[in-house]
Amino acid sequence: MTRLARQPGPDPAGSAAAVEAAPDSVLAPDRGALGDGDAAVRVRDLTVSFPTADGPLPAVAGVSLDLARSHITGLVGESGSGKSTLALTLLNAVPPPGHVDGGSVTIEGVGDVLALHGADLRKMRGAEIGYVFQASQNSLNPLKPVGKQLLDLGRSHGERDQRVLLRRARALFDEMGMDAARVLASYQHELSGGMRQRVGIAFALLLNAHVVILDEPTTALDMLTQALVLEIIRKVHATRHLTTLVISHDVGVIGDLADRMAVMYAGRIVEEGPTVQVLAGPRHPYTRGLLTAMPRIAGDVSEARPLPGRPPDLASIPRQGCVFRPRCPLATRACAEAEPPVTVTGEHRFACFVAAQEVS
Amino acid sequence: MQLARKLAAKLVTGLVMIWVVATATFFLVLEMPGNPALAQEAADMQHGMSPAQAASATAVMFGFVPKQPLPDQYRHYLWQLLHFNLGVSIAEEGVPVSHIVASAAPWTVILASFGIIFSFLIGVTLGILTAIRRTTRLADGLTLLGAFINGVPVFVIAIMLVFVFATILAIFPQGGTVSVLETPGWNAGYLGSLVVHAVLPVACYTLAGLGAWQLTSKSSVITVLGDDFILAAELRGLRPLTLARYVARNAMLPLFTILAISFGLMFSGAVFIEEVFNYPGLGELLIASITTKDFPVLDGAFLLIIVAVILANILADLAYPLIDPRIRRS
Ligand SMILES: Nc1ncnc2c1ncn2[C@@H]1O[C@H](COP(=O)(O)OP(=O)(O)OP(=O)(O)O)[C@@H](O)[C@H]1O
Ligand code: SF4
Ligand SMILES: [Mg+2]
Repeated sequence: MTRLARQPGPDPAGSAAAVEAAPDSVLAPDRGALGDGDAAVRVRDLTVSFPTADGPLPAVAGVSLDLARSHITGLVGESGSGKSTLALTLLNAVPPPGHVDGGSVTIEGVGDVLALHGADLRKMRGAEIGYVFQASQNSLNPLKPVGKQLLDLGRSHGERDQRVLLRRARALFDEMGMDAARVLASYQHELSGGMRQRVGIAFALLLNAHVVILDEPTTALDMLTQALVLEIIRKVHATRHLTTLVISHDVGVIGDLADRMAVMYAGRIVEEGPTVQVLAGPRHPYTRGLLTAMPRIAGDVSEARPLPGRPPDLASIPRQGCVFRPRCPLATRACAEAEPPVTVTGEHRFACFVAAQEVS
Repeated sequence: MQLARKLAAKLVTGLVMIWVVATATFFLVLEMPGNPALAQEAADMQHGMSPAQAASATAVMFGFVPKQPLPDQYRHYLWQLLHFNLGVSIAEEGVPVSHIVASAAPWTVILASFGIIFSFLIGVTLGILTAIRRTTRLADGLTLLGAFINGVPVFVIAIMLVFVFATILAIFPQGGTVSVLETPGWNAGYLGSLVVHAVLPVACYTLAGLGAWQLTSKSSVITVLGDDFILAAELRGLRPLTLARYVARNAMLPLFTILAISFGLMFSGAVFIEEVFNYPGLGELLIASITTKDFPVLDGAFLLIIVAVILANILADLAYPLIDPRIRRS
């Protein structure tokens, strides 16, 4: 498989020009932002719902998203916005009683993921896509040493040569700055939080997956360990030409790491584009709110203002009009009537009536 | 090193507990209405013994000399106990209690061991099945059945089994351990008769314990299935067989302690079953000694039951670190 050696991230000058540009078009939701050859993962119009007291309600609603090959894509949003549900659907692993109502997920080298089942589906997981679980702190069998579980993983995917597996594992642990022999002999409870996270990454990479998803990789870690883990993610991503999806509720983490970023709210991608463009010129009121809520980006702690209101749960997401309307400072009458369509300017997309007028 | 210290601590605790129980038994006999030791002494004298003879006969029987000052009585009793001298039976005059208890214990051990093992194996299998298929009707039915069996008293199960399989169908004997027609020894007839006689009581024991194992293991498996590491393992594409092994080992951990404790309780657990099936184990001995007021035997059987419970707890505590690395290495 050929992997394009692209520059990680667009250059700031070009992106500034793109922000200024008038919208190219208003796209139907089933079109992604990237050209046909540049995406390793394509999500189209994906809807995933959970049964609730009010009937099935979508946790992911009509999401279209491309993961650029050999790049890091960041997915950011408040708790409950549907980030994990979306990520799990990329592995066709919607947690029961959830249900995929429609849409498609296509992965390079795999094809239509949602059509896979049985042994094909199982072998795709781990071998093609590595997943670092949100609760990576407890992602191992507590009764078995790390090394034995790595062998279990290899054997599950037809790699019977223990020496090959162990050599690969040692190389991974070395690369991540860990004492390989010690880690292999350890049980999960003997590892620190940062070590567990790195071990989780090693499990995701053992079988040479070309797509890696990290769900909240730095949550629950102290600042120093957080920086270390981010550095390691950057390193393994670059040396392996991975297509990486990093999920976080922390815009700072995504800003540090991602070439492109997508902002998720109430099951929708409300804004998406090159990280530099989105951070420098956020279009959607929700993205703007997220950024002003961040001391690091707002500059001064006293200037950081938390978003008003609370993130909705499935039942309180508006069924008509724009889902952000109850918390939106710019809401107009039109916002109550229909969902805003996606506006595209260059590589930057957003879904907001008012922002669309601003750029036209 | 640390293990040795833990072992020592456990043993000391166990010994202290046994001492407390022995002391309680001693005072229980003293405080019983009509003090059995004094009554026995009086009866002996009525039968023509001299006071000295009667006193020493009572001392042999109960392990202490009734008319001595209390501290002396107590010291004498503990001293005898330390030599495994539990006194002699009243009902079977002159036979040492330790002999009586030792000959009853194996029957209970056979019955209870097979009963515990079968109820564990069958109950846990059903539990795992209902956990894995928990959204199906089959699982609902099995759970209901398990809860029902769990609620039926043991003696009802025992009487039903006798009624159906011994009285109506006449496939198995009503009770007893072996047919008197067989010559004891390692011959097929004798051993076969032993097995045939054990079937109903073991089945009863199994049924009585089954429901609890099924319900406990079901909830344990469901808990583990919801653990993060199982989802993580699925997302890594682990083989179903490997996944099942991960689940099984983790779900069995909490059951292990319960299993050890039920082995400890085995000597007391079979009272009704042994009574109904006329099986001469410790349970039946306990009931017989109560009806005949054979206090030394009652004490001895009681002490054995308690010691077994304490030992099982110590063993469970010691063995647990072997199966759970989180305890072993922290
Ligand atoms: N198993 C489930 N059953 C019912 N509802 C669920 C389930 N999993 C998720 N949801 C609902 O779907 C919505 C999205 O959840 P999801 O876990 O994807 O959010 P998230 O963005 O990953 O949040 P967090 O930052 O807390 O991880 C939430 O409203 C949640 O309540
Ligand atoms: S569409 Fe209207 S309500 Fe929604 S974010 Fe834009 S301005 Fe706010
Ligand atoms: Mg999540």
